[in-house]
Amino acid sequence: MESNNTIWIIIRRMRIPFLVIIVTFSISILGMTLIPGMDDQGHPYKMTFFDAFYFVSYMASTIGFGEAPYTFTYPQRMWVSACIYLTVIGWFYGIGAIVALVQDKRLAREIDIARFRKKIQEFREPFTIILGYNNITHLIIDWLNREGIRVVVVDRDPEKIEALDLENFIPEVPSLAADVTTPETLKMAGIHQKSCQAVVSLFEDDIKNTKIALLCKLLNKRIKLVIKSTTQTQSEHLHNLGVRYIEDPFLFVSNRMYLALTAPSLWLLEMWVFGHILKVREREQLPRGKYIICGYGRMGHALERALKKAGMPYSYIDIKSTDYKAEKQSAVFGDGEDYKTMIEAGVKEAAAIIAATKDDLINLTILATAKKLNPEIYTIGRENTLDDLSIFRAARINRIYILERILAEFTYLFIARPLAYRFVRLLHTKDETWGAKVVEQMHAILGENPMHFEITIDEEHTYALSKELNKGRKIPLGTLRRSRANREERLPLLILLCKWDDRRMELMPQDDLPLEAGMQLLIAATEESKNDFEYIVNNYYELEYVIGEK
Amino acid sequence: MNTEKVISGFFFILAMTINFGFVYGDPSNLEYHSGYELFAAIVINLIATVLKLGDKTQLGSVLLATSLVADIQLIASATVWAFAVYVMKGMNLESTVAVVSLAAGAFIANIVSVTLFIGDTLKSKR
Repeated sequence: MESNNTIWIIIRRMRIPFLVIIVTFSISILGMTLIPGMDDQGHPYKMTFFDAFYFVSYMASTIGFGEAPYTFTYPQRMWVSACIYLTVIGWFYGIGAIVALVQDKRLAREIDIARFRKKIQEFREPFTIILGYNNITHLIIDWLNREGIRVVVVDRDPEKIEALDLENFIPEVPSLAADVTTPETLKMAGIHQKSCQAVVSLFEDDIKNTKIALLCKLLNKRIKLVIKSTTQTQSEHLHNLGVRYIEDPFLFVSNRMYLALTAPSLWLLEMWVFGHILKVREREQLPRGKYIICGYGRMGHALERALKKAGMPYSYIDIKSTDYKAEKQSAVFGDGEDYKTMIEAGVKEAAAIIAATKDDLINLTILATAKKLNPEIYTIGRENTLDDLSIFRAARINRIYILERILAEFTYLFIARPLAYRFVRLLHTKDETWGAKVVEQMHAILGENPMHFEITIDEEHTYALSKELNKGRKIPLGTLRRSRANREERLPLLILLCKWDDRRMELMPQDDLPLEAGMQLLIAATEESKNDFEYIVNNYYELEYVIGEK
Repeated sequence: MNTEKVISGFFFILAMTINFGFVYGDPSNLEYHSGYELFAAIVINLIATVLKLGDKTQLGSVLLATSLVADIQLIASATVWAFAVYVMKGMNLESTVAVVSLAAGAFIANIVSVTLFIGDTLKSKR
């Protein structure tokens, strides 16, 4: 019923124009039948209703075929002149009303909503609802589209929605400008639909995120939620609501920092999952020694936790970007007073400095000042918006933490690559020796730039293999690592994670592990070995060959 | 008092009464049935139809349906009349009865419409 709003608006608006046309026509027709005329032989006659209807119909539209059936008498002509103005005004009014209706904003919006709904109802493939369109979600949309996951975007701001429409995403991203914190909007975006997988809400405002999380949970219990939260109490609150995935960018940064300080191999593996090459570049190695944290807000605290846990000495300079700007009337760090605080904090003998304020310009100037005082210092910067990326690159900062990008990466991984996401989570429970072994193994088998993919053992993805397994045949995992050219040789392939269900998972499974239908695998491979692998699991002949029983 | 209700009620009932006025009389004799009355019936019925547009309720849809039936019957009646006069060379008994009975059908549709309208008014108890 709701989707037909457009038609109802049109009908309601057209009532008066219709009435005007009916009334003007009937007055004109009635007059024509009452006024006496004269036929070609001079006999008086009266028009019938049909004659009058015919004449008025073509007169009203101002086509004018002449006077029918006979030339008019003067009384008739006088009535016709009055009728012309009457009916023409009626028509103009009707046409004007239609034109006004086409330009009507309410109608345009109803049409937009109807289109949006229709597009979403036609989705057969899984899709994700993203609330809010900005740099972060733009990246996420790009990546999800590449994986073939459809996306729906809702943002309150119509200008942002227009910007999104101009992006021409392929496949198309249905978008709507509406208030995201109302249940109606979420329903329109298809939260009730079977194919709706997840809702992403990464707003700055924690309370808004919580409200959305609550609404989504109530509207659809089984949906995955990606909700941003920047404080611990908020995260706990969300956890109690049953939100499966809470994104705290500061926690991510803190964990990464800790990993980079204590277990570089694990850090490398995590970065590799996100697309880094499998090698630590020289400038990426964090130095050991004293750290200075500039900016002691949420980010500063998160980094402090990491440093403390890693047992690294540190000191901090408390700079609040807003206070600093208000006090000094400038967004550039580095006057005489600042130099003094820097030196007092021990910049000359420190190993690294972290600029973690909320202002990109202050962060840049902090690092520049530190470099001036101590050219050997290792610089770590927090970049707040993706727009400033090129400036940060040009500033030759050793390590940049871009909160927006980190958020986007984790969201993408969680939605599109659940196994890789699991793998990253499990990495944090392992130690450096384990990590070093894995990295070494990967280097030996796959080189420095392997890729990763995940596959579920079912008929759709591994046709031959799942058929054989369903017949009750026992096939160990190692079989899949044999080359299809020569089964004595090994494919350059490494199985990183094997998942049965949410509770049972195994990192780096052994070759003798028996395969089961429904199992999910995360595999590191090269482009070529991935192709070979897919051949083997889908094709009976290849599979029989690598099993080697016949 | 609701002005909109007065106006729409006025036209719904007028549509029925004028329709009745045209139908009333010997159906085989055209002299009892005035063309002006048929014309008025058509115009008033069209106006009543437009007034029923845009009502989203269940009752509104049924009212609109009855009105559309009445419109079609009355326009058919007028068309038969014009066809008989101009194409068939004059009215005969068959066409006369057809004109009147088509209008009679429209009258029944109008009765249904008015009954529903009054029923709804009584139900609202105000």
